Amino acid sequence: MTAHPHRTAHPPRPPDPALDLDKLLAARLHAARVRPYLATALFALHVVASRHVPTMAVDRHWRCYVSPAFVDRMPVEELAGVWVHEVSHLLRDHHGRSDRVARARGLHGPAERLRMNIAADCEINDDVYGDGLPAPADVVLPHLLELPAGQLMEDYLRQFRLGPYTQGMAWLDCGSGADGREREWDLGPDGAHGLSEQERDAVRFRVARGITARPGDAPKGWRRWAEEAFHPPQPWRELLGAALRSAVSGAGAGDDYTYGRPARRSAGVPGVVLPSLRRTPPRVSVVIDTSGSVSDRELGSALLEVAAISRAVGGRRDMVTVVPCDAAAGEVHRLCRAEGIPLTGGGGTDLRTGFARALAARPRPDVVVVLTDGQTPWPDARPACRTVVGLFPRQRAGSPVDEDDPDYVPDTPPDWARVVTIDPGPGAR
Amino acid sequence: MPPHTPSPAARLAVAGDLLALLRDTTTEPRPDTQLEALTLAVAADLPVLLWGEPGIGKTAALTQLATALDLPLTTVIASVHEPSDFSGLPVVGDDPAGQGIPMAPPDWAVRLVRAGRGLLFLDELSTAPPAVQAALLRLVLERRIGALRLPPGVRIVAAANPRASAADGWELSPPLANRFVHLQWTHDPEVVVRGLGGTWPHAILPRLDPARLHGAVEFARRAVCRFLTARPPLVHRLPSGETRRGGPWPSPRSWEMTLHLIAFATAAGSSRDVLSLLVRGTVGDGPGLELLASLDRMDLPDPEALLADPARAELPERGDLRQAVLDAVVAAVRARPEKSRWDAAWALLARAVDTGTPDVVVVPATTLATLRRADWDVPATIDRLAPAMELSRRADRAAVAAGTGR
Repeated sequence: MTAHPHRTAHPPRPPDPALDLDKLLAARLHAARVRPYLATALFALHVVASRHVPTMAVDRHWRCYVSPAFVDRMPVEELAGVWVHEVSHLLRDHHGRSDRVARARGLHGPAERLRMNIAADCEINDDVYGDGLPAPADVVLPHLLELPAGQLMEDYLRQFRLGPYTQGMAWLDCGSGADGREREWDLGPDGAHGLSEQERDAVRFRVARGITARPGDAPKGWRRWAEEAFHPPQPWRELLGAALRSAVSGAGAGDDYTYGRPARRSAGVPGVVLPSLRRTPPRVSVVIDTSGSVSDRELGSALLEVAAISRAVGGRRDMVTVVPCDAAAGEVHRLCRAEGIPLTGGGGTDLRTGFARALAARPRPDVVVVLTDGQTPWPDARPACRTVVGLFPRQRAGSPVDEDDPDYVPDTPPDWARVVTIDPGPGAR
Repeated sequence: MPPHTPSPAARLAVAGDLLALLRDTTTEPRPDTQLEALTLAVAADLPVLLWGEPGIGKTAALTQLATALDLPLTTVIASVHEPSDFSGLPVVGDDPAGQGIPMAPPDWAVRLVRAGRGLLFLDELSTAPPAVQAALLRLVLERRIGALRLPPGVRIVAAANPRASAADGWELSPPLANRFVHLQWTHDPEVVVRGLGGTWPHAILPRLDPARLHGAVEFARRAVCRFLTARPPLVHRLPSGETRRGGPWPSPRSWEMTLHLIAFATAAGSSRDVLSLLVRGTVGDGPGLELLASLDRMDLPDPEALLADPARAELPERGDLRQAVLDAVVAAVRARPEKSRWDAAWALLARAVDTGTPDVVVVPATTLATLRRADWDVPATIDRLAPAMELSRRADRAAVAAGTGR
């Protein structure tokens, strides 16, 4: 091993099977060839031979601890799969996310961290194997826990306990890079060849940009990761709230300062002109897409949210009106009678009639909120008031195209509207 | 003898003693990336906006910073003020038509100007109504309050609660957001526990090295200009999408702030982690990370210099950076193919095999081989690439075994 002077193992090893570094590196090369978009990350890992590691493990400083005995008994192509698996934990920041989940939900102790490791494995393994990387016999997959595929670690973590299903996974140990718990073999932040936080971000960023630049090479799970790696999606309630607040609080709506009438404080400071705070309760009109494609549950939660927010910004319940709309707009209802609003409809949608109906109301609304799945034509011109669109995402899982009309591409919401994507899935909150 | 009852005043004095004991804490220097970033931005005279959950110690950090910089601290809660408190109160005089109406500044501004120096802390910025935010624009950008102008010795720091925790918050308008260096303020449980135990960390003012000033400015200008030449769309890009509203975004103004921050961080010898916080907080995560990646590339050795003297080439140790350098060398040979350069590139690859893992050499070597012209003889150094070639063959066999047939 004189050819690689700085790659010697730590600490002085008894004469165990020596690490077959060439085999390990051949596996890394194979991994980089079949997953070229991960090559940067694979080559950024620093190999540390360790007898304490059961198989292969990573720490949060991008060191990869390898058991020489494990390398000895694995074929090169399966080792390559392990490389990709381990680097996936780091790219997806599983240690940081585990720490956050641990803090947020009060999950402590080795058993909970093992659960996090299992949940993290479920998240990545459906993307890792296949196409040049054979799956090992004991790979952890969501269906072994009777869970659906394609979810995030945080979602899986809610859905299973350690028990008979996970018995065979107790040996599993991808290291502190996967679940955030320090291991006895970890070299720690001060050890040699660790990556600093900025360097880790830089590697992740370069991989993400490589994937977004050539999206054809990477599978869907990795493309989604690359899009969200540095811009994680925010809870839609907060976004909808912020959009609505800024819409109703802008000039001409909501409350703001005005010199139109002097402040009551003026009496105390003669000679000074003070502005006064004037409040005009914002009128919010909610146009609801009642076509068959939007479920009642989604609509209900979004409508409640709009009502709560408009109350929070000073609107009264009777200032919120609701217009159910499919191909034709229904009547305008006040929200104080929300129980009785008939959300009838089904079939196609044309929100243009809903807009027209909402804007025709007297007094005019300050803000129009549209709750829709976006499968509709939009008005050509900007309406005469602020518009917030709550968009229920469609076509995420399942068939990406309409079976009846594969060429049909729905119009995207126009750019004069503020668009908030409402994702009532388990990860939303 | 009647039982002795201490007077109320004496009882309060005992309470005072207890309070004094509780306040008796010490400080210790502790490497703290976010505090260093804050101090550096304040030193660079850029307005800073701290984003953090309520009760996280933003105000405490500011108090410490003021002590470390020896500046008097003036706190103004933006959300309880009116726009006129920042733009000046119009005071009607005897002859408004002839003399105009002066805009009278509030008392804290007068005191600040009279002192000539200080740290102005605008708290609760995100819960201030839009009109107050608009008035603050002028204060933050032009440093004017009514008819007064804040002297250069006054530094401005603001704080805001993130949208998720601000119950009734307005979001920051893009023009106001663009004027700040945004720092996400988080707490380190370890620091809090140690502080409650009696020892708080204290901010160390970054020491600017006078000998490095010229080099720092030159480096900062080169870094930003090189990057924006390569990525012109990033010179100005308004935030799109709901997620990024109210945060930092790239514009000529924020790029100039970035340039200042790079120069300050370079002159102070700050770590890349500090610079990363500052740059991402000024132009946003995406453009900031791209700029940092381009800084990393500036640190890498120049391919032409390596080709000129392959025998003494210093290659980076990290595998991914090493491969980036070797790729750049091969690209340089491709751009100007000459026999001597081709030979030098082989010597470099051989050196890479001798000093590091052979797997990173395989791809550049394969590409370099395809650049061969008919009349070029294979250099003798190529023998030293044997480990890499063996590795490549082994990976090929693995590919066959895995059924991809590469």
